Parts: sequence; structure tokens; C-alpha cells
Amino acid sequence: MMQAYLDRKQEAANIGMMVTALMFGFAILGIAVAYMVAFWWMPLGDYVNIRLDDFNTYEYIVIIASLIYAAGCARTAIGLSSREKSSLRWSQWMYFITVMIGGAILLSVIIPVGLKFSLLLGQNIDLRAIINNDVGGLAPLALSIGESLISLSLLAAGLVALIALLVFLIPPLESLREMDGIRMIVAPPRRFVLAIIAVLAVGVIGVLIAGAYVVPLYPGTTTIRDAENHRLLAGLLFFLPGLFGYRLVRQVEEESDELRRAIALTPGKFIRAELAKSPSAGAIIGFIAIIMAFTMATDLFLEPSSVASFLSNIATKGVIAIGVTYLMISGEFDLSVGSILGVTALSFMNFMTHGAPIFGVMEPVPAALLAIFIAFILGAINGVLLISTRIPSFIVTLGTMLAFRAITLVAIAGGRILRYSDHHEALPVIGISNIVFLVLAVIGLLVVAFTAYRVLPVLYRGAMHAWSIQNDNGDFGTTGAIIRSVLLAVVLLILLALVIWLLAVLSYHGSAGGGEMVEVGYFDLFNGRVLSIGSEGDFVHVQIPRNANVRLAIIWWFSFVIVFHVILTSTSFGNSIFATGGNEGAARAQGVNVDRVKLQNFAIVAVLTGIAAIYETARNPGVDPNKGTGWELEVIAMTVIGGALLTGGYGSVVGSLLGALIFGMLQTGLVLVGIESRLFSGTIGVIIIVAVILNTFVRGARQN
Amino acid sequence: MQYEQKHRDALVDMIDIHKYFGSVQVLRGIDFHVDRQEIVGLLGDNGAGKSTLIKVLTGFHSLTRGQIYFDGEAVNIYSPHDARELGIETVHQDLALVPLMSIARNFWLGQEPTYEIGPFRFLDKKMMARESIQALADVGIHIRDSEETVGTMSGGERQSIAIGRAVYFGKKLLILDEPTSALSVGETQKVLDYTIAAKEKGMSVIFITHNIRHVYEVADRFTIIERGHKLGDFYKSEVTENEVADMIVTGQIPERLRLYEEDAVGD
Ligand SMILES: Nc1ncnc2c1ncn2[C@@H]1O[C@H](COP(=O)(O)OP(=O)(O)O)[C@@H](O)[C@H]1O
Ligand SMILES: [Mg+2]
Repeated sequence: MMQAYLDRKQEAANIGMMVTALMFGFAILGIAVAYMVAFWWMPLGDYVNIRLDDFNTYEYIVIIASLIYAAGCARTAIGLSSREKSSLRWSQWMYFITVMIGGAILLSVIIPVGLKFSLLLGQNIDLRAIINNDVGGLAPLALSIGESLISLSLLAAGLVALIALLVFLIPPLESLREMDGIRMIVAPPRRFVLAIIAVLAVGVIGVLIAGAYVVPLYPGTTTIRDAENHRLLAGLLFFLPGLFGYRLVRQVEEESDELRRAIALTPGKFIRAELAKSPSAGAIIGFIAIIMAFTMATDLFLEPSSVASFLSNIATKGVIAIGVTYLMISGEFDLSVGSILGVTALSFMNFMTHGAPIFGVMEPVPAALLAIFIAFILGAINGVLLISTRIPSFIVTLGTMLAFRAITLVAIAGGRILRYSDHHEALPVIGISNIVFLVLAVIGLLVVAFTAYRVLPVLYRGAMHAWSIQNDNGDFGTTGAIIRSVLLAVVLLILLALVIWLLAVLSYHGSAGGGEMVEVGYFDLFNGRVLSIGSEGDFVHVQIPRNANVRLAIIWWFSFVIVFHVILTSTSFGNSIFATGGNEGAARAQGVNVDRVKLQNFAIVAVLTGIAAIYETARNPGVDPNKGTGWELEVIAMTVIGGALLTGGYGSVVGSLLGALIFGMLQTGLVLVGIESRLFSGTIGVIIIVAVILNTFVRGARQN
Repeated sequence: MQYEQKHRDALVDMIDIHKYFGSVQVLRGIDFHVDRQEIVGLLGDNGAGKSTLIKVLTGFHSLTRGQIYFDGEAVNIYSPHDARELGIETVHQDLALVPLMSIARNFWLGQEPTYEIGPFRFLDKKMMARESIQALADVGIHIRDSEETVGTMSGGERQSIAIGRAVYFGKKLLILDEPTSALSVGETQKVLDYTIAAKEKGMSVIFITHNIRHVYEVADRFTIIERGHKLGDFYKSEVTENEVADMIVTGQIPERLRLYEEDAVGD
């Protein structure tokens, strides 16, 4: 008994030594990376091509980040060796960060290489000819088979790596039962984890071999270059020992009660719990993975012009996706949004060109309001049909989808396009009095003041509290206090900057005197192109690059996301939406008027769709009778990628935002990478399935 | 048709209640009443119509025919909301909680506390968390985190939360539909304790079960229904536990009790 105890104590001590030594190792590795980037070279891919002679922003970021990382490792290692109270918890975080860094670097190799290989496969013919010239004989066939295998294994390895990172976040099953406090999701057995790591290793070795032996395949492009090999090495250096260290720390934690008490919340548990709380967890992971993949695969992806164009393209669908998310959370479904979009766009245009029955030819703003009202009516028809007949919404809206579409098809006969320019000489212009800007600035100041009033005291108290308990929290207490103080300072500065800017706006428009008119294109109000933020001589002045097509709808979209997010999460209406979809009977039994909730949601979808229709029309003042066809499924895809459950009761507005962004990024990114646009829908299909699997996995036991 | 209130002092008096789902006649003329500060055991085999009867009372189902008096007045209960307004809280057998929502949100569902900023009203989440933890602790349910999702909890825990909620909000009448079916012996005892506590606070309780053992100890009176009809009302002093159990199973009133039964009907 005693002997066993001593043995375990000895074992724990040994592990402790290893944990400390490894941590020192990572500190050195961090410094080495900084050194290599600064004074030698550290190729980080096409986009981040770092050499001694051309320092760029990315280099500075990498250098600073790796120095901070090294400092963190060193501090933790010193803490460990002098047995500081909280050092074990910190080392767990440091190892966790290390593994994440390693994983990210590995993914940055695996994903672009995989993409390139699949690209090569898609362009078989030209490529073969080139290789033929070089190699001849049976070699091309062998190569192409080899490439297919490597390509597949790489893509698989990339996916597996992602899953492995996730699985890795889950603490082992045994320790779960002991953990009182947080109820966790059932973890997969260790064998599964081991299998994944094994597959990952095989995939990585595949890359190594491929990198070493596959020759450049066609002029100008190489499959695996030195750059990627070096990155692979760096990634492995971070990932594997980091993983090892993390497991060791966890073992120490499991071994010793005392140590376990020191570790309040492990990174894995914390992140896992946070992710499980958020319906958009899967979407967040996918979002990051896709940005990384495309950034690594092509320089063009993060160009302001590509970002602006995909945001502008996706904004209208994103607005609709908000409403569809609401509806889906309440357990219903709307297939008719595409047709509602068509009808609204058509009515809007028709009111301005041919006129409405009572009002005659209308100005754009009243026309827009009337058109949105028509959208509202269509949504109400959906809702009333559903409630009064109790037919599933899939069927009801399938019917109305076809019926509403008939309106546009009949109204614009012969597939013509109804154009604004066919009826009016010039696009409409509106004069806005500068008093409007004055009022807006005052409202802005009030909002800032209110935010400051609410947020600053909390932050201030937090910082003061951190300082007061710094000694109780060991030496790391000071670090925590400093971080909190910096946070306070940053928020303060941002608020201050806003105040100065708003005051500048006030004085600029105020000095011009009341009544001065600023001319704005009417359509620009809805979805105009943004050329700059602030103007020459303002306190804030950002000139938007010429080729970047930034549309106002992006700002509308983000504002809607914020407003609808708040409504969903922080009002009783939002609560009833979740309850209605989650368990209609229980919601009704607690006095929620579920029929009203559904009706309201159908109306919300329709109105948002109507607003989206105005954006579309304002951007391109011409309506064709098939406008919006197929949008309903795309929007549902976005919502599902964003984590909403088709069965209701679960989802988030932020998820719909991410889903739309993922959708847009894929659309733009695949084109930039050079994959045929015909493959887009296939890719989206795969992404939806992967997203749902990820979401289900992350959600774990929440879904009961 | 005119209905006479039969029990003038009763809190609830349901008279000649019929409920048909299409051609399925689930309730066929049931008279049911609950006196003030009384615990009534509503008994019957599975499928007898117990849940349907109280769903009619709580506005979840509409009446096909019949009349409900509450607190001495004829009332029309069109929705569960109306029932809650009257002071009726229910723990439904199958409709207790929303699994994907947190404890606090489930607890306050349908009557969330809010605060106002200008014309807008936002959920008072702090209060929701604090009060739900406190209220559940008051009835002996200790939860760790009110943000925890109900779906991750055991059947017993969920049942306890639903009961805790009903006890917290209930003003006049507490309805428990098979509350003990998912519970351990200890938890069952706790439920019986709340039931008595609720009575002592001045409330009445309808305690539904098909297992007499769970309720014999606390109930003042038993109403037994059988395939949509009422078999009879029996005060605890009149019957033994075994007799009640037999009636639930056989659907027959034993010879010895027929006399009481006629008295009860005759008043
Ligand atoms: N919504 C409904 N539609 C049709 N039949 C129903 C419905 N609800 C209940 N029933 C039927 O009514 C009968 C009584 O059900 P219930 O009141 O749940 O019984 P108990 O609660 O006594 O076990 C059952 O036969 C059931 O099938
Ligand atoms: Mg029942």
C-alpha cells in the first residue's frame, strides 16, 4: 500500500520533470522561430513568403507572436521548476496553445497541398502532356495513380486532423465521472483517439514522402515546395511534443488530488463546454478552417477586393438567412422565400415604373415600403395557412413557392427584364438635410455614453479586483491583473476615439449651418457602394481601394445580425421561439402562444426577404421574372451550416452569419483557386454534411 | 345546455366533461371537483383519460361539452395561459420541459422577468439565474448551474425541476400528472412532502397516478376514472389502500362501498 503510494509519487515527480523540460524546450523553439523569421528565412507559404530582404507585416506579426509565446513558455517552465501554485494550470494552457499552433501549421500544409493535388486531378489532360515530355513511358500513369492516392489521403488527413483536434479537446472518459461540477459530454473511447492520431501520422508521412520525391509537375506550379516541407517540420515540432506534454500534464492532474484541485478548469474542458453552449461551434471551426485553407492556397483570397465582393454578394442572402434561422428554430420551414424575393423585387420596380393602383408612379422609398408590406402579406399567408390547416410547413410553402412565382411569371410575360432605365432618364437622387447627420451624431454620442456607463464600471471593478487578489493567485496573478488593466485601457481608448469622431462630425455639419442638403443617390441609401469611411480631413478617414466593391448592404446585414441576435437571446419572444421549436407541447403548456410565434416568424422571414429584395434591386435596377429562384435552398443550407437544427429548438443568428460567410467564401475561393464553378454545388453539398456532423458532434448530449 | 354548480364551496368544479378527439370519445361525462386545501388523488388505469381531463382543465385541450367552475365562478379556459392566470400550475406527464433549453429559461418560460430600456424589454438574466436556483433550492432541488441544459439531466432531475417550478409559481391549484413515475424512492418521498407543504400553504393539489401506493399516504380523497367515466369519489376514511387498488384494476366498486357512492352522488 505504502509502496504503491510512493511509486505513484515517484512517477508523478518524473512526469513533472518531463513536463518542465518540455516547456523549456518550447521556449527555445519559440525563440528559434522568431530568429529564423527575422534573420534567416522561414517560408510560410505563397502568401507569407518571408525572406531577409523583404520584411513584411506578416513577418513582424510572426516574430512578435513567437517571442510572446516563448516568453510565456519560459515563464511557465520557471514556475513549474519552482513549484508555483498555479503553474500546472498555466502549463496546461501553454501545451494546449502549442498543440493548437502545431495543428494550425500542419493544416496550413495539408490543406493547400491537398487542394493543389485535387486541382491537378481536375486538369488531367494538359498536365499529362507536360509530364509525358519529361518522363515518358508508363511513368505518367503511375504518377497519376500515385497522385490520386496521395491527394485523397491528404484531404482525408486534413479532415482527420481537424477531427483529431476536436477529439483532443475531450478529456478521457474516466476522469469525467470524477469531475463534479461540470457535466460533460460522453467522450469517445481512447482507442478512437489513438486510431485518429495513427491515421494522422500516416497522412503526415505521406506528405513528407510526397514532398521529398514528387517533382514539380507543371511549369510555374510545384506540388510541394521547400516551403511546405519546412512548415511541415515546424508543425510537427510543435504538434507532437505539444500533444505529448499535454497528455502528461493531464496525467499528473489525474494522479494527484492536490494538483487536480489546483487546476480549476482545463483548456479542453473549458473550450469544449463553451463550444457545446454555442450552436455555431461547428460553423466557427469550419469558418476558420476555410479561411486558412484558401489563404494558404491563394494570395488573392484575402485581397480587399475579393473580401468585399464576396461580402457584397452574400449580404442579401445573409439577411434572409437570419429570418430562416428564426423560423427553423421555431420548428418550421420556408421554401417560398425565393418567390417572395421575386414578387417583392418585381413590385418595387413596378411601383416605380408603372405605378401602383392608388398611388400612381411612386418614389423609391414609399415604393420600397409598399413592396416590403406586400412581402409581409405573403409571409402572413404562409403563416395563416400553416396554422389553420396544420399541414406541415414543407408542403404549405412548397405550394406557395410555386404560387408566388406564378405572380412574377405572369406579371412579366415572356421572360423579359423590367428595367428602371427603360422608364426613367436618370437614377433617383435625394437631398438629405445635414440636420439628419447632426441627429445621427447626437444619437451616436448617446449610445457611446450609455455603453461607457454600462461597460466601464464592470471592467474597472474587474481590474481592481484582479489587482487586489494578485498575491492569492501566485505570481501569475500580476499577469492577469495587467491583462485586465490593458483591456480596460483599450476599451476606454476606443470609446474616446468614437467620441472625438462623433464630435468632429457634429462640428463639421454644425458649422455648415442647418438646412444644407447633401445629395445622395436614392438606391445608394439601400445598397450603395461605399467609397470611403469618413472623408478627406475627417478624424477618421479610410479610403477603400478602388477595386473593392463594398456595398451598404453589408452594414445593414451586420446591423440586422446584431439586432436579431439580441432579440433571440435576450427577450421573451426569443425564449418562446426556442421553446416552440424545442418542444411545442411544453411551450404551449407553459402558456406560450405557439401559433402566434410561428405566425410572427413567417412574417419576419418574409419582411427580411422583402428587404433583401430591395437591396438586390437597388444594386441592379432590373428585375427578371426568375429572380430568387433556388435561393430558398441556398439560404437553408447557410442556416444548417450555421448550426440550426432542422427539427427546431436550436440555432443562432451568429450561426447564420457564419453559415452565409462560409457559403460566400467557398463561392469566391473556389473560383480563385481555379476549381471549376460547376463543382461549387457539389462542394456545398459535402460542406453541409460535414457541418451537420460537426455540429452534432460538438452538441453531443445537448440533443437528447 | 345549462349546468348547475354542484359543489358550491369547491375550488374547482368540472361538470359533465366530454372530450372527443374526432370520433374517439376519451371523456364521456365526468364530474370532478377539488375542495379548498384538499389533495385529490386522481386515479385510473393507463389510458383511462386522467391526463386528458386535466389538460381540459388547464386549457391545453378545448372542451367538447361541459362546464368548469373555478373559485365559484363559471370560467372559460381557452389556453394554458388562462389557466396560469387563474393560479393553476401543472406538471404535465409528457410536456414538462424543453430539453434543449437551459434550466433558468425552462423555469421562467412563458413569464420571463424583464427590465426595460426605453421601449424595449430585455430578459433579466441575472434574476432568472438567481431566482431559479433559489426557488429550486427552496423545494430541495440543488442545481449547480442554471445555464445547464435540461436535456443533459436525468429523468428524475428533470421531473424535480418541473415540480419545483410548479410549486414556485402555483397560487391556488397544483396539478401533478404522474410526477413520481421517473423518480427513486427518496425523490418520491420528496414530492409527497412538497405536496403536503403546498396544502399547508393553502393550495389544493390534484395528484394523478395509476399507482395508489404513491399517493395513499397524502391524499384526502380519491377520484377513480375508468375508460372515460368516473367510477366514484372516495374519502380516505372510507376505503383501504387495497380496495382502491382493486377498483383501479377491475373497474368495479366493491359491494361494501356502493352505499357511500350513492350518498356521494346524491348530494
Ligand atoms: N390528442 C389525442 N387524440 C386522440 N386520442 C387521444 C389524444 N390524447 C389522448 N388520447 C386517447 O385518450 C385516451 C386517454 O389518454 P390519457 O388521458 O393520456 O390517459 P391516462 O393519462 O389516464 O393514462 C387514450 O386512449 C389516448 O389514446
Ligand atoms: Mg396520463
